Amino acid sequence: MKKLFTTLLLMLGLSTPALAAGDSPVDVISNTSQNALDLLKKENGKNTAQVRKQVEDMVVPLFDFTRMTALAVGKDWRAATPAQQNQLAEQFQTLLVRTYSSTMTRFKSAQIDVKPNAQINNNGREAVVKSEVTLPGSGDKKNVMVDYTLYKGAQGWKIFNVSVEGASLVTIYRNQFGEEIRKNGVDGLIKLLKDKNQPGKPA
Amino acid sequence: MKQPLILVACCALTACASSSGHPQDPLEPMNRVVFSFNDKADQYVLKPVAEGYRTITPQPVRTAVGNVFDNLRDVYSLANHALQLEGKKTATDVLRVSINSTFGLFGLIDLATPMGLPSYKATLGDTFAHYGWKQSSYLVIPLLGPSTVRDGTGMGLSFGYSSGSWVFQENRDAVAATILYGVGAREKLLGLDDTFSEAALDRYSYMRDGYLQYRNAKVGFTPPASQQNPDDDNIDDLVPEYMPATEPAAAVPQQPDASAPLAAAPAP
Repeated sequence: MKKLFTTLLLMLGLSTPALAAGDSPVDVISNTSQNALDLLKKENGKNTAQVRKQVEDMVVPLFDFTRMTALAVGKDWRAATPAQQNQLAEQFQTLLVRTYSSTMTRFKSAQIDVKPNAQINNNGREAVVKSEVTLPGSGDKKNVMVDYTLYKGAQGWKIFNVSVEGASLVTIYRNQFGEEIRKNGVDGLIKLLKDKNQPGKPA
Repeated sequence: MKQPLILVACCALTACASSSGHPQDPLEPMNRVVFSFNDKADQYVLKPVAEGYRTITPQPVRTAVGNVFDNLRDVYSLANHALQLEGKKTATDVLRVSINSTFGLFGLIDLATPMGLPSYKATLGDTFAHYGWKQSSYLVIPLLGPSTVRDGTGMGLSFGYSSGSWVFQENRDAVAATILYGVGAREKLLGLDDTFSEAALDRYSYMRDGYLQYRNAKVGFTPPASQQNPDDDNIDDLVPEYMPATEPAAAVPQQPDASAPLAAAPAP
């Protein structure tokens, strides 16, 4: 499936989001957002599910969900066993992908301006890439600032935090996770996330 | 409009403080009650009305209505930028209002934005923050939703004194305009409410934390890390650089840091 998808993309003349070590964090973000927008523009009301799947397949590998989950959980992360950490990351990934996948078609007509200067921290291992999203025709004229935090690991730059207008889509969960861990432990949180991710279950 | 807000603000400043929980939300018990009330009001009144508004009006009409209110908010913003002595932003607001009120047919068309005059809406809450009131407790206002004591006070003062009287001669017209403004604002959020419910484990705390992060970033307030999460800030402490592979199926074992679950690299 993956191979087929890759071939398909190459046939369409789209480059896949490069994971090559030479890519700068700004490249990663700007190439991916451009490719994602190109895919979204093909959405015509009938192929929504297919387009969503394609965008997901392209975007998901660029995130490090383990690191993201650690950031969301905070200091309780240390108290979790590796097995629990895996389960948490898996469930959190499902939750995030499901949530944001359903909204992505709203951004079909968006224009994304990725700022060329990334803010580099932590001896060059961490970068914050800033971007500005415009949604023409939505009646909302204000541009939205979206910031991506990436770190450089063995597989190149990976995103582990996204902020919209200063609000992090990751640390927004910290109090909710902390509360559940305080009440029912790490397993309680895993269960809560699993229940939430159960298909067909009302939110 | 004025009295309930001041009442809320007084209550916010004095009573109903609780000790545990979010450091910027001492009013959580009261806020949760108002949040539930707003939720019900939204479910039974605001959302259906906004949906009806969307059904009966075409997008260009809604955009025009939104533009008119936006133009009025630019006037309010102008006053606040002036109070903050923000010369450039004040000038931008003056130009925006002048152009949109004349060539833009009383604000129906927003010509200023495409002309390169961006809108930076400032409120009295921003002005308070500008002069030092940066940290402020979370406050859920009936029907209006998330705010802070500072922003709510600013809103109460502005609307209490003017209540649109500089635009509308009749109080009744001002009320009608306020309702139309609210309906228009709610209409823009249709569809996002489902996402919100899907994303949140606890909808109250999800909205609060998102709002406070957004608002704090806007006014330049950094909550002291020691207040709540003394050692959370360094992610590298939580996820060591050389951690073992966590996803055996996808990760390459000999590589350190192979923690991205689906990172099977596609062919170059």
